[in-house]
Amino acid sequence: MLALEMYRSLPRHVAGKVVGGRVPGLLSGYAAPLRMVTIDQPAVARPGWARLRTRLSGICGSDLGALSGRTSLYFSGLVSMPLVPGHEVVADLVDDCEDLPEGTRVVIDPVLGCVARGVEPCAWCLAGATNRCDRITVGHIAPGLQTGYCSDTGGGWGQVLTAHRSQLHVVPDAVSDEQAMLIEPLACAVHTALRAQVRRGDRVLVSGAGVVGLFTTLALRSLTEAGQITVVAKHGRQRELARAFGATEVIALDGALRGVRRATGAFHVQPDFGPGYLLGGVDVAIDAVGSKTSLETALHATRAGGRVVLSGMPAAADLSAAWFRELEVVGSYASAGREPGAGDRPAFEVAAALVADDVLAPVDGAVASYPLYRWREALDHAHAAGRLGTVKVAFDPRSSR
Amino acid sequence: MSRPGFVLEVDDRTPPLVVHEGEGFRLETFPLGTRVIYPPESLPAVPDVDQAIQHALRNPEGSDPLPELLFPGMRLTVAFDDLSLPLPPMRSPDIRQRIIEAVLTMAAAAGVDDVELVAANALHRRMTAAELKHIVGERVFRSFFPQGALYNHDAEDRSNLTHVGLTDQGEDVEINRRAAESDLLVYVNVNLVAMDGGHKSVPVGLASYKSLRHHHNSKTMVRSHSFMDHTKSHLHHSAWRMGQLLKEHLNIFQIETTLNNEVFPAPYDFLMKREWEWSIKDQGSMLAARRALSLAPARLRHKMFHDLRAPYGLTGVHAGDTEQVHEKTIAAVHRQQLVEVHGQADVLVMGVPYLCPYNVSSTMNPILATCMGLGYYFNSYRGQPVVRRGGAVILYHPLKPDFNQLHHPSYVDFYEEVLAESTDPAVIEAKHEQNYAADPWYVHLYRTSHAYHGVHPFYMWYWAAHAMDHVNEVIWVGADRRAVQRLGFRAASSLADALEMASDTVGRSPSITYLHNPPHLLADVR
Amino acid sequence: MRRGVFRGGVDDVRTMARGWRWGRRSMVPRSAEAYVQAAEPTVFPTDWSRTRPLRVLREVAQKGGLEPLFRSQVRTRVEGLDVLRSMTGPVIFVANHASHLDTPLILLSLPDDWRRRTAVAAASDYFFDTWWRAVGSAVVFNTFPIERRGGTMATTSGEVLADGWNLLIYPEGTRSTDGWVARFRMGAAWLAVEHGVPVVPVAHRGTFAAMPRGQGWPSPGRRQLTVRFGAPVRPAEGESARDFGARLQAAVAVLLDEDQDTWWAARRRSARGETPDPAGPDVAQWRRVWQQSQSPPAGAPGGRRRRAWSLTR
Repeated sequence: MLALEMYRSLPRHVAGKVVGGRVPGLLSGYAAPLRMVTIDQPAVARPGWARLRTRLSGICGSDLGALSGRTSLYFSGLVSMPLVPGHEVVADLVDDCEDLPEGTRVVIDPVLGCVARGVEPCAWCLAGATNRCDRITVGHIAPGLQTGYCSDTGGGWGQVLTAHRSQLHVVPDAVSDEQAMLIEPLACAVHTALRAQVRRGDRVLVSGAGVVGLFTTLALRSLTEAGQITVVAKHGRQRELARAFGATEVIALDGALRGVRRATGAFHVQPDFGPGYLLGGVDVAIDAVGSKTSLETALHATRAGGRVVLSGMPAAADLSAAWFRELEVVGSYASAGREPGAGDRPAFEVAAALVADDVLAPVDGAVASYPLYRWREALDHAHAAGRLGTVKVAFDPRSSR
Repeated sequence: MSRPGFVLEVDDRTPPLVVHEGEGFRLETFPLGTRVIYPPESLPAVPDVDQAIQHALRNPEGSDPLPELLFPGMRLTVAFDDLSLPLPPMRSPDIRQRIIEAVLTMAAAAGVDDVELVAANALHRRMTAAELKHIVGERVFRSFFPQGALYNHDAEDRSNLTHVGLTDQGEDVEINRRAAESDLLVYVNVNLVAMDGGHKSVPVGLASYKSLRHHHNSKTMVRSHSFMDHTKSHLHHSAWRMGQLLKEHLNIFQIETTLNNEVFPAPYDFLMKREWEWSIKDQGSMLAARRALSLAPARLRHKMFHDLRAPYGLTGVHAGDTEQVHEKTIAAVHRQQLVEVHGQADVLVMGVPYLCPYNVSSTMNPILATCMGLGYYFNSYRGQPVVRRGGAVILYHPLKPDFNQLHHPSYVDFYEEVLAESTDPAVIEAKHEQNYAADPWYVHLYRTSHAYHGVHPFYMWYWAAHAMDHVNEVIWVGADRRAVQRLGFRAASSLADALEMASDTVGRSPSITYLHNPPHLLADVR
Repeated sequence: MRRGVFRGGVDDVRTMARGWRWGRRSMVPRSAEAYVQAAEPTVFPTDWSRTRPLRVLREVAQKGGLEPLFRSQVRTRVEGLDVLRSMTGPVIFVANHASHLDTPLILLSLPDDWRRRTAVAAASDYFFDTWWRAVGSAVVFNTFPIERRGGTMATTSGEVLADGWNLLIYPEGTRSTDGWVARFRMGAAWLAVEHGVPVVPVAHRGTFAAMPRGQGWPSPGRRQLTVRFGAPVRPAEGESARDFGARLQAAVAVLLDEDQDTWWAARRRSARGETPDPAGPDVAQWRRVWQQSQSPPAGAPGGRRRRAWSLTR
């Protein structure tokens, strides 16, 4: 089968680290440790597992981070190389899988927890918080925190991958492939929104208006009673979408603090060097980018005792505000099999229900798909997605053009 | 002998005319038949200023001579107009300095000990020590500033405001406590344009937001036709009511001064001449200035303009009872600025210069430029507007969305937040004014830094309300397109394009009038 | 950027040159005419043109440019220069005026040391109207402005005279329209009386025929010009400018007569009071012009010049 394979390459990793952030074009062209290969299909060896044929698989910000070497080395122990990336997947079952017949269209919850690994469930998995599983490096499959980071399961950027029954969620017929592919990021956003523990009338700042930021805005509006939701957006299309998804106010990056200050009546402090910050500000801030600027914006715009949710994979940032303002810094990773904030339903179910309600209508036509062999183009496009007004760039391994 | 103002009709003999646009000017060729209103030439200045001041103080209108009002043990407060007047700032010595010195000399002779000087800056920014010094002069500054007896009025200092009462229409009159509790309040004004002075001095200059909101609002401003004519301005009617109430509680000795039209010092004096009379030297100066401005980096260009100090000459000084004094003052202002114009035009063209009352030593942001063009210049009329109802206004200004964070912090937010939502003065007043007026951060900056009050950008927008209500089309030439869009207007790259755009409203061959100012003019439209 | 600045400068210059009619007279919009301030009569300063560097420049211009050009276009005959030999400056040259050729003719006829010390009175409203004409004429001809209608300008002439310069004045005030001499104005006489300087009358013929009013270049064919200097006339003690002026006009009339005939004949006619009126006969205008458009004959005054060795009579 055809697949895009990520492999270990020290020079490319270093090159990516050095230039990845600045010249993303170089990365997709020369420096990415990614290649198109013909490999054997991943094998199904255990009950509960089945093969799937990918219909669409998205390119996530974390994928780009991994390819450009911007991801922290922290995660290097949690993946197994070589691997086929792609964890936002909508696919058809090739084999029957327990109760699901061959040909069923499903989306995958990529977290590879205890059940999938065939080990005794850990405390988190028992509690349904599968995203917090402690056993992601052991079991009968290679280490890997998610499908798409594990060398045994394959990933969405190949024609075929394998998945465990516990990961599968059936897609209703009315939902298109594009929308179905967005269920995974939306589930993460649902998880983030619930993690933010927003109370009625809270002011929320969402820093960033990529898929994560937009979907988090949507989830906040749908699932919480947040009052003012302010979104920091860079590009024109993002601003429109943020409003469509329920933002009360959309502000530009350079005016972010000023806008929050105006809205909350906070006081502005300008230190001798570095960015200014607020004394006072929003109740909850969500960093939906993961960059230093974005994270610091979130930290600096939150009132004392407020909450900062890390939704993007975070970069190193100045945490002084977290200490001085006694902020609660809350992580939000993937999504849980049982969300206490949503009646113990899986985040995927909540997300699927939202999609079925057609909340994603505004992003129709904002998904671009590429065949595998045009992967360089696709990565380029994904890097510039915000500017170009694309919400999601995806691979369609079935297509040859 | 200075010549009166007149209305030029552009013909084939007319050279291109100067149009100001921010920190620069251009030569514009107007369509034949365009009427151009030229202000009167500068009147001759009073030869002996000090003698004129002495005469005014000793022979006041409707009041005892000043020396007789002063007695030992009294509490004397001298209030004076802030740096928003005159424009551009006056070459030293400022006329206020000479008057204050004369007043203080008399006070010293009368044995008055308790004297304080208050800058009547209302919600304008606090002036720096250097700016105060420029206005009152070194002697006065040295005698009062270090002792804390020379300061800016603080409209947010609750402990230093006195609620004097309500007018018959229920308007709060709340002014500076020190001024209200003085035995005598001497107000020193510079009556640059017809809007200034009279009861707009004390009841407005020394008031609080609570008092100002009664006349500084969109409704009043839309009805002030125009605010350059105090008899027809609702804004002034309200101020007059307040002034009459204050008069019952307080002894006010008003000193008003009028200036001539010497606005530009050499080598920019050619800007005050009529173009067809430009000498070779004037033409050379124009070419040189244009080249220098295009070559100079923005910072230098800014400096070139903001370092200008006008060589104004005094045309009159009157003192005594506010209303009687103001009558004489207005007559003097009219002598210098009034131009008779017959009939309204379809299109009004104005060049917005680099300076308005609120950006002395600062940046002319798009909101201030709008206020200057659609507020001050548009309202420079008596009788009826220069442009007919439903006509078009064409303005020249780059409208760069640059904001001075020190002086105009609330303007940025007003521009980003409020104008993005609506540009209708009534709508933004209802929805946002309170938030901005009460924002503790703006209040803090106004009181401790050098920022205009949070509500000030709203006032700027209300200034322009009458114009926005009166005309159908506002087109900016040579302006930043995104800023123009944000302000809710339209942008054109040249006068011809602007007229093309306006043709929907006023047809293909509209009558055009161009206001050739600065120097200041007041169109008396018959 | 730099190119933009340059282009902008060029555009500005073009705009101003067109708008302000550079090199032509400036105009006032019709509607502004009522507000034009009466022009403060200003005297174009010409002192600089009599400084040493300018004198050198003028010498070059006159000897190197003007003279060859002048001689290539016309023929001249100069008489009576001996009167200058017995004199020192300053004097006032008073001449009839029929053409722009008059000034170069007279100047180039003068001996070099006299020429270098002679300034020409030129109508301020014509020669000093535009700066380029003023500068040009001041450099080449050493002109200074004089008011045709009398008035403030007289001071300039007096100053120039007092500085030791000879003046060339055309008392008619303007070029003749038909080649005949008009009535003399009082200016020159007044100056001479006031400053007590002698006046040298000068008469010339042929310039009207060679290049009349309205013509920009001498007619082809190297026309003949004649110029004749007369004996100096001095104002008598207590003589009025009016009387002296009349004497000057008479002196020029006699010289003109002499130039057409002989000295002796002219003197006799003068003594009899029969000097032909230089204003010309009272006949139809065309006949007056016709007569003047005839160049003086290329020969000795008083008719035929006899060659000493000629065998014919």
